[in-house]
Amino acid sequence: MAGALVLFTVLDFTLDRILPDSSIRQLLLLAACNVLVALSLNVINGMAGQFSIGHAGFLGLGGYTSAVVSSHLHEALGGGDPTFARSFIVVPVALLASALIAGAFGYLVGLPSLRLKGDYLAIVTLGFAEIVRLLIATAQLGEKQTVGEAFAQVGGPKGVVGPFFHALSVAITSLGGQNGYAGPKNMGVPLYAGPFWIFGLALVLGILAYRLKFSGWGRALRALREDEIAAAAVGVDPTRYKVRSFVIAAVGAGIAGGLMAMNRDGTPTVQPDNYNFAASFDAITMVILGGSGSVTGAAIGGVLITFTIKAIEAIQSTSVIQSLKRSASWLDLNALRMIIYAGVLIALMIWRPEGLLGERELFQKKRSPKPSPKPRGTPPSEGGDTPPDAPPDAQAGTP
Amino acid sequence: MTELTLKHVTKDFGGLRAVGDVTFTVPERSIFGLIGPNGAGKTTVFNLVTGVYKHDAGSIHFGKTDVRPLAPAKIAEVGIARTFQNIRLFSQLTVLENLLVACELQKRAHLTAALLRTKVHYDDERVMHARAMELLEVFDLAGVADEPSTSLPYGNQRRLEIARAMMLKPKLLLLDEPAAGMNYGEAEGLKAQIRWLRDTFALTVVLVEHNMQVVMGVCEEIHVLDHGETIAHGTPEAVQNDPKVLAAYLGGDDDEADEPPAAQAVASGAGERSGP
Repeated sequence: MAGALVLFTVLDFTLDRILPDSSIRQLLLLAACNVLVALSLNVINGMAGQFSIGHAGFLGLGGYTSAVVSSHLHEALGGGDPTFARSFIVVPVALLASALIAGAFGYLVGLPSLRLKGDYLAIVTLGFAEIVRLLIATAQLGEKQTVGEAFAQVGGPKGVVGPFFHALSVAITSLGGQNGYAGPKNMGVPLYAGPFWIFGLALVLGILAYRLKFSGWGRALRALREDEIAAAAVGVDPTRYKVRSFVIAAVGAGIAGGLMAMNRDGTPTVQPDNYNFAASFDAITMVILGGSGSVTGAAIGGVLITFTIKAIEAIQSTSVIQSLKRSASWLDLNALRMIIYAGVLIALMIWRPEGLLGERELFQKKRSPKPSPKPRGTPPSEGGDTPPDAPPDAQAGTP
Repeated sequence: MTELTLKHVTKDFGGLRAVGDVTFTVPERSIFGLIGPNGAGKTTVFNLVTGVYKHDAGSIHFGKTDVRPLAPAKIAEVGIARTFQNIRLFSQLTVLENLLVACELQKRAHLTAALLRTKVHYDDERVMHARAMELLEVFDLAGVADEPSTSLPYGNQRRLEIARAMMLKPKLLLLDEPAAGMNYGEAEGLKAQIRWLRDTFALTVVLVEHNMQVVMGVCEEIHVLDHGETIAHGTPEAVQNDPKVLAAYLGGDDDEADEPPAAQAVASGAGERSGP
């Protein structure tokens, strides 16, 4: 792993020369970010089996938080070009803030909705993601007064609530609304996260996800997915485990979103439309494609979907499609992506409903797949359907 | 002092009284039978004790602990383990993993230790693994430790459920029809195992069972329910000869010449018990 980190450090300085085409660099870094997106969603959707369809909300929280923190920190450190040395201050601080904010909201969203059985989590997360996006996209201070002032006018409690909402609306408005956020002076978000940070974190968090799965914790989550009542009867508290995995997923999404916002070869603005429902849907597709519950599967899904999205974008810019668009202006080209996606998903559900890897891992020794009822060393007792002449057999527990 | 005490416990499901005013005490380290015809409320009593349902009136205490406010996972922590009438194994997990899930509570290593793979994590895993294998030996399942749990034959699945419950190091073990689907020989083995568990681990065992061979053979005290209400309580001999019990099982209080199978079961249970 140390070797990999050294490699990423070298790449951090040399990638520009190895790959002069910035769109390919962007694609690679984006793929690594999407690996993180898929890994984090896999914790709650795959391992814990709770369906969250609002991952973009946490990506957005992480993205905006990192953008705000990093650009302010950048200014405080004197501005200029983002250097590798300085990234060791900016990136950890920004990502920590993103992780904390996303995790805190994950707890707030998860605690009430995961206590209930059924699909409440899906509904709540969907709503949450849209609220985050729309709140940022549509925020504007009224011409005459803010929400806080309005609150004070209708006789709401003054003192705390009014000023709080005022500050909140000012803060949200400062995120730039529909146009996106580009730093406090509109100079763009400083892009500190190069290959070292993005590839490095993808590797480190991937290892952590793998360890999570193959620990008692991962085992408990799998048990919980199988049978909640039985899991509770052996001391695995369903709510606690589910909420914790949801918070872990949210923290991971916060980090992924933060890295995307600071991606060196990305755009220096953060826009609300980056975090729409399609982004959540992409994340779900990654996990399902790779195989729910599989860490390496999620990583593969993340890479594949990133490439697919880019490939579709490339197809869209071809002359055939462009001329088609000229002749039929009503044609929404983004729909093409959805059509291809839908096709892929339907094909997957028909031929490989468990995803590419199922729950297995890429480098895992195969568990004996055959449900062999008669392995060596079993006592002759075979259950109720054997003739009653079976001897009381050598029960080891016999005193 | 960890006896299980139920006092005037009542549980209604809508208009149906599943358990009505049930009172009994299970002495520490005893093997206690809870019997009654189908729908008598036996499993509901288990579900009340383990927190799956909450009783509407009365009280359930384990030692000095009131179980009503506790969530099922917390009750497992207090030392009450159970098995299920309709086997509830974690079907995608192996036999060994089924046991390992049950030791999450006893681990010293928490999530961060597992993520950093500290020494505590490895120590924990090793200790738990060894204990699980030990229990699998006891229940004669060590040979299939790495098989998916659903590939086991029925009787072994029941034994696996008991082994999993024992991983919790419980003080009280609730067995819900452990002998269901077992043949005569297996049921004899089960009786021996229940006694052995009680003696070895200083357990209290409560048994819901229809198999009279097992109930009469192993229980020291029996409580009989019918339609959610207590109809008899006492030693196996007393219960077997109780006219109310016979009536509940046979559907009348007369002694007809043609005995239905249930009566034979009770009768054969009696013979069985006095046999060895």
